[in-house]
Amino acid sequence: MGTVKRTEETDDRPPASLEETIADGGTIAGDEASADTPFGTVSSGTMSRRDRYEMLVNEWVVAPFKILWSDWRARVGSLIILAYVLMGTVGVRVVDPPRVGEGDRLVSPFEDLSHPLGTDNMGNDIFAQIVHATPPMLEMIVAGAVFTTVMAVVVGTLSGYKGGRTDQLLMTFNDILMTIPGLPLVIVIAVILEPRSPWLVGVIITVNAWAGLARAIRSQVLTLREESYVEASRLMGISTPQIVMKDIMPGLMPYILVNFVNSARSVIFASVGLYFLGILPFTELNWGVMMNLSYETGGALYTWETAHWLLAPMITIVILSFGLILFSQGTDRVFNPRVRARHTSAADPEEGDDDMSGEVATHIRG
Amino acid sequence: MINKYYIERTAQAVFTVFAVVTMTFGMIRLMPGGPVSYIRSQLVQQQGNQVDMEQVNALVEVYTNVAPDDPLYVQYLEYMTSLLQGDLGVSMFYNDPVTMILASAAPWTVFVMSISLVLTFGLGITLGAVMAYIEGSRFDVSTTLVSIFLNSIPYYVMAIVLVYILGYQFNWFPTGGRVSSEVATGMNLAFLQSAFYHAALPIASLVITGFGIQALAMRGNSIRVLGEDYIRVARLRGLAPHDIALRYVGRNAILPMYTGMMIAIGFMFGGSVILEEIFAYPGIGYYMFRGIMARDYPLMMGAFLIITIAVVVGIYVADLTYGKLDPRAGSGGGNREAY
Amino acid sequence: MSKTDDTQTPTTAGTRTGTGTDRTSIRVDDPIMEIRNASVTFDMERGESRVLDDVSLDIERDEILGIVGESGSGKSMFASALLDAVVNPGILSGEVTYRPRGDAEVDVLGLSPEELRELRWEEISMVFQGAQSSFNPTITIRAHFEETIEAHNYNMEQAMAHARELLSDLYMDPDRVLDSYPHELSGGMQQRTLIALSLVLEPNVLVMDEPTAALDLLMQRSILSLLEDLQEKYDLSIVFITHDLPLVAGLADRLAVMYAFEFVEVGPAGDLIGNPTHPYTRSLLKAVPNLDTPLAEMRPIDGMAPDPVDVPQGCSYHPRCPLADETCRAEDPAYHSVSPDHQSACFHWEDSAEAIPLSTGGDERGGGDGEMRAFAGNQSDEPVVSLENVDVHFDQVADGGLLSVFQEPDTVHAVDDISLDVYENDVVTLVGESGCGKTTLGKAVIGAQRPTDGTVAYRGQDIWEAKDSRRGADIPYEHIRRSLQMIHQDPGSSLNPNRKVQASLEAPLKRWEPDMDPDDRQERILSLLEYVGMSPPGDYAQRYPHQLSGGEKQRVALIRALLMNPDVILADEAVSALDVSLRVEVMDLMLELQDLFDTSYVFISHNLSNARYFSGKAGGRIGVMYLGELVEIGPAEQIINDPQHPYTKVLRWSTADLDIEETVEDPPLRGIDIPDPVDPPSGCRFHTRCPEAREACTREQPTLGGHGDGTEHETACFREYDESHEYWDSEPVVEDDADATADDESGSWGHANE
Ligand code: SF4
Ligand code: SF4
Repeated sequence: MGTVKRTEETDDRPPASLEETIADGGTIAGDEASADTPFGTVSSGTMSRRDRYEMLVNEWVVAPFKILWSDWRARVGSLIILAYVLMGTVGVRVVDPPRVGEGDRLVSPFEDLSHPLGTDNMGNDIFAQIVHATPPMLEMIVAGAVFTTVMAVVVGTLSGYKGGRTDQLLMTFNDILMTIPGLPLVIVIAVILEPRSPWLVGVIITVNAWAGLARAIRSQVLTLREESYVEASRLMGISTPQIVMKDIMPGLMPYILVNFVNSARSVIFASVGLYFLGILPFTELNWGVMMNLSYETGGALYTWETAHWLLAPMITIVILSFGLILFSQGTDRVFNPRVRARHTSAADPEEGDDDMSGEVATHIRG
Repeated sequence: MINKYYIERTAQAVFTVFAVVTMTFGMIRLMPGGPVSYIRSQLVQQQGNQVDMEQVNALVEVYTNVAPDDPLYVQYLEYMTSLLQGDLGVSMFYNDPVTMILASAAPWTVFVMSISLVLTFGLGITLGAVMAYIEGSRFDVSTTLVSIFLNSIPYYVMAIVLVYILGYQFNWFPTGGRVSSEVATGMNLAFLQSAFYHAALPIASLVITGFGIQALAMRGNSIRVLGEDYIRVARLRGLAPHDIALRYVGRNAILPMYTGMMIAIGFMFGGSVILEEIFAYPGIGYYMFRGIMARDYPLMMGAFLIITIAVVVGIYVADLTYGKLDPRAGSGGGNREAY
Repeated sequence: MSKTDDTQTPTTAGTRTGTGTDRTSIRVDDPIMEIRNASVTFDMERGESRVLDDVSLDIERDEILGIVGESGSGKSMFASALLDAVVNPGILSGEVTYRPRGDAEVDVLGLSPEELRELRWEEISMVFQGAQSSFNPTITIRAHFEETIEAHNYNMEQAMAHARELLSDLYMDPDRVLDSYPHELSGGMQQRTLIALSLVLEPNVLVMDEPTAALDLLMQRSILSLLEDLQEKYDLSIVFITHDLPLVAGLADRLAVMYAFEFVEVGPAGDLIGNPTHPYTRSLLKAVPNLDTPLAEMRPIDGMAPDPVDVPQGCSYHPRCPLADETCRAEDPAYHSVSPDHQSACFHWEDSAEAIPLSTGGDERGGGDGEMRAFAGNQSDEPVVSLENVDVHFDQVADGGLLSVFQEPDTVHAVDDISLDVYENDVVTLVGESGCGKTTLGKAVIGAQRPTDGTVAYRGQDIWEAKDSRRGADIPYEHIRRSLQMIHQDPGSSLNPNRKVQASLEAPLKRWEPDMDPDDRQERILSLLEYVGMSPPGDYAQRYPHQLSGGEKQRVALIRALLMNPDVILADEAVSALDVSLRVEVMDLMLELQDLFDTSYVFISHNLSNARYFSGKAGGRIGVMYLGELVEIGPAEQIINDPQHPYTKVLRWSTADLDIEETVEDPPLRGIDIPDPVDPPSGCRFHTRCPEAREACTREQPTLGGHGDGTEHETACFREYDESHEYWDSEPVVEDDADATADDESGSWGHANE
């Protein structure tokens, strides 16, 4: 049930002049240069480069942002994530790095303004530790999430779109990888390789985490591949990479984004856990290392006095992962064309109605 | 059709185990910093520089079932045969056969993990279904929020908090061990009680942090199923609401949860390494951790292998029950048209 | 007889709010159900949406009442209202009364939940459109029957016996069906099983909401003929709701036409088809493709059906009605009695016949008067695309698993040994049941499907050779690729939902004319949009596909194909998903563009009426396919009016026409379900269902050419061979009817989604 009514009479369509134009220019997309076709030459220069640029910005930056903002989960989630990013970039410049003995030992939190979260057993400021642990954590998270997503998308898309032998081989390998429990595998590899760079740690931690996502993407691609518009593109002679980019990928984006965020979260979980156990070698300060130190050397388990030293990094992790989950729950809408259309300013005012009549249609059908 | 499904799953499980075994062999043998160089360096430390290579190799063979100077394929075959005989080598740290250590540990891990799994999913499914039925109510909204929050707590953080508060501070729960030393091993009530008492906190930390996401998944599935035509038809046919809830909504909403279940199996068993260390609970993960800390490769690899096999078996069982529950399982699932 | 108050003059009628008193109901002598002033409303952000507007209607005992309306006309709401089963948050008001024989009348809307639960299915039962989605996929069919019987405390044994009887009445093997899971049955079987399930408690009223819409015509027609038997056998009153007027015309005793959430015309089927008085009914009759109406008379209805929130004042049809005047715009027309039992909600019903002339009945069949636009262009001597002995066989392989390597795949013979030439400016329509391979053949024609055997040549150049040896070909593959295009069946998936119309249309231009100035490109797209009637084009170009109606999406897909300037376009069921009244419009547009662009169409349809319209109007051919083979091909009108092959005759039978004299008879074939294409029957593939089959047919395969009079019209059946053929001497294949059906079904068993 479209809302726009056809203004023209069906019978005396098309307008005579236009009909002639078309009849003459039968070769609309002929082999010869396009300038000859009367159809296309009448460019009135309606759109300047600037207009077009503005439209792009509007479509790809403003509209997604508006959509994000309209969902409270995404709003809270992105604020939290933003706070951590700021902490890792600006924070490290503003807050002095922790120094041994800069304060008394084991100051409780919220007592001394110069040590808002207290100090550890060596007198290091805990807040400063948390802040300065952020950059390596972020590096790890980004490395892991990017690695997972890229691997999954490449393997999943290749497998799904190519099909046949490729698919069979990749998926057999993929299924095995998927079944191996992640953490023990990571531990074994970490013990053997003893990685130090946060980037490498991130990749090792997700060494088989991408397999599940790859399978999910494959099955999505299988469905999308059968869509008529993909076949139409193929028949129009559009190249496979183009089809994958323009026709397949956009359909996968919500999926990919949600999983990007989810894998970020599991990188945090796993890496902090491994640092906490002391399985990954300590190089720089990070939240897992803080937990380990407070647990092992501070004896945080036995006394109340060191509790804050252990709690601070734990709470830091929980808040970040809470933010990530909220963000992922609220973001799939960004890629939904129905929601998009409503938020692009170019859209006509009848937009909302369109959705509503869809709703009625479902009721009627039901 | 269904038979084919079972055969395929079985083959897949066997093949996965085989692949993992091969991989462990590769890692033990080929990776730099593997056990061979480790043992050698240990001997060097003990005996100074005049290390007898033969002695090193003999030791390596004792511990890992692999003789380093044999050709690679012989090593591989030897490794495989001893594995098939149930020989995982000898732990360098405990100086006991790895198989023996792990055989005594495995039941405890399986015990904790299966209870956690059942509780996580039981709780998640029930809660999710209730939320779906009263979608949009205050209960639904607040439970959703709580679920998301609990899901953002790593299970080991929960474990630390629990062991800290309930174990060390209040002394309500034990902070280590499988059972208390006073009870006699065996199927007596005191033993079982003690076993559950000791397992309570590890189970709690997994369940509390795990059920939320399952509840949300179940909620989503149920809402989708509630909108299906067959629910409407069933209501018109006059079926009792509880029949619809169980046989229609329940069954169809739970089926897609199997994927989550399989992921959870791997996640939980894998997590045993961290969890059992925190609770000093001697299961497979605990020994794996000991093995890592002592650079005890046979123990570490053995534990890794056993955990993997446990997961493969768990997934296999889940797969088979799925095949029983979903009549469509055999036919490839998709309705892809042939033409 | 009629208590209708037709003395009321239009001028005394009130405004819309007064409709309750103003519009009298349409009454019958012995109603089994009475519906009075029933309305369904939804509260929506932008206002109240009225999806059933104050309707009143009686349903006579033991009648079949056909309710006809386009999608979104409120007909499904009416069905739900009969069982007080309107989905939340819809609100149903008014009165629904059920009058069982002898007993006191029942006020359906006033029942307690338990009473309502008992009324449903025991007294009034319902069949829905999507049979597949009406069953719980995880339990067997038997469980569905048993739980229903149990829920109503019927005697299990008796009721199950009844269920078995119903299933055999519907030409199925009860044991097999009961033990199956829903997905193991084919679509037609699912639908029949659903009918049996709805009748298992022996209700008196059966409400059917588009029960056959998702099925092949042949299956639809077969089910309809079974329905008539059931109705007689079990004394049912049936309310049959459909968008397909010709389909119910022969079946129903009375017809009610819905427009904009109310009934605009109600009357006995014969009267309503023979003498329709409401302008909408008349236009609908003209708009619906069928086999009788002369091609030149078919006309689409202009304009769109109204939005439920914003129904026009006065007569809701006035924006589209050629007869509309001031009165119509201001006042809501009451029912006017055309005859005692034929009512029409129109002020000018007496003038409508003159204003919208109609010649139903088909005496001037095919007579194209001067008005008819001839679209036939000059067809070339040399074929553009030529298929020679093409086979397409698919291996059915299980999904990706480890073991699939070792499995012997089943081979599906989608296309078997077909030769076909497509000329310039040609129109070839392929018809057949689903699974007959028509789409695969179509794709082979445009080089979208590689044949497993035989050759496909484009202007003499083998397409697949050109593709494999890119350099050596006379005509480069690139050129061939862009010359052969396709329009897909489902408007919902023919456009990328994530791209705006403009981006979708730019893609082919960017690919083939990368140097084109962006502004020219835009201009070209806009003018084409305008040309196909989507204006303002600038607005449409910026829309996402979900903001377009089905017809508009198909137009965009058509433009996209035409931008390639192709020689042949494959239109795969391109209009089947559209509302009936839109089909003619889109087909006209396609033909019009053919004239301008010099393209040929390969048009695929399961619907003979569409095939007739499309091929007939362009002077093209129709090819009939059965189980991967072309069994008859020839000029459109000849195939329709003078079908030779027994299967074509069956298709012809299955295509309902508007002739209500012709009741739904038994199908001229021996089995309802199609055999499994994995293992097609020997000899003539149709012999398992062919009423004319003889012993020779089971052994030998008839061919298209090589017999007959050498005209364009070819038939692959031994009955076309001369007397010397052994067919004429061999024994007829006669089986016991029930057995034959069971046999056929064993063939199509376990073959769920064809
Ligand atoms: S003539 Fe008037 S009352 Fe009749 S259908 Fe047309 S607009 Fe409605
Ligand atoms: S060849 Fe025989 S079976 Fe085939 S259509 Fe003709 S008569 Fe029927």
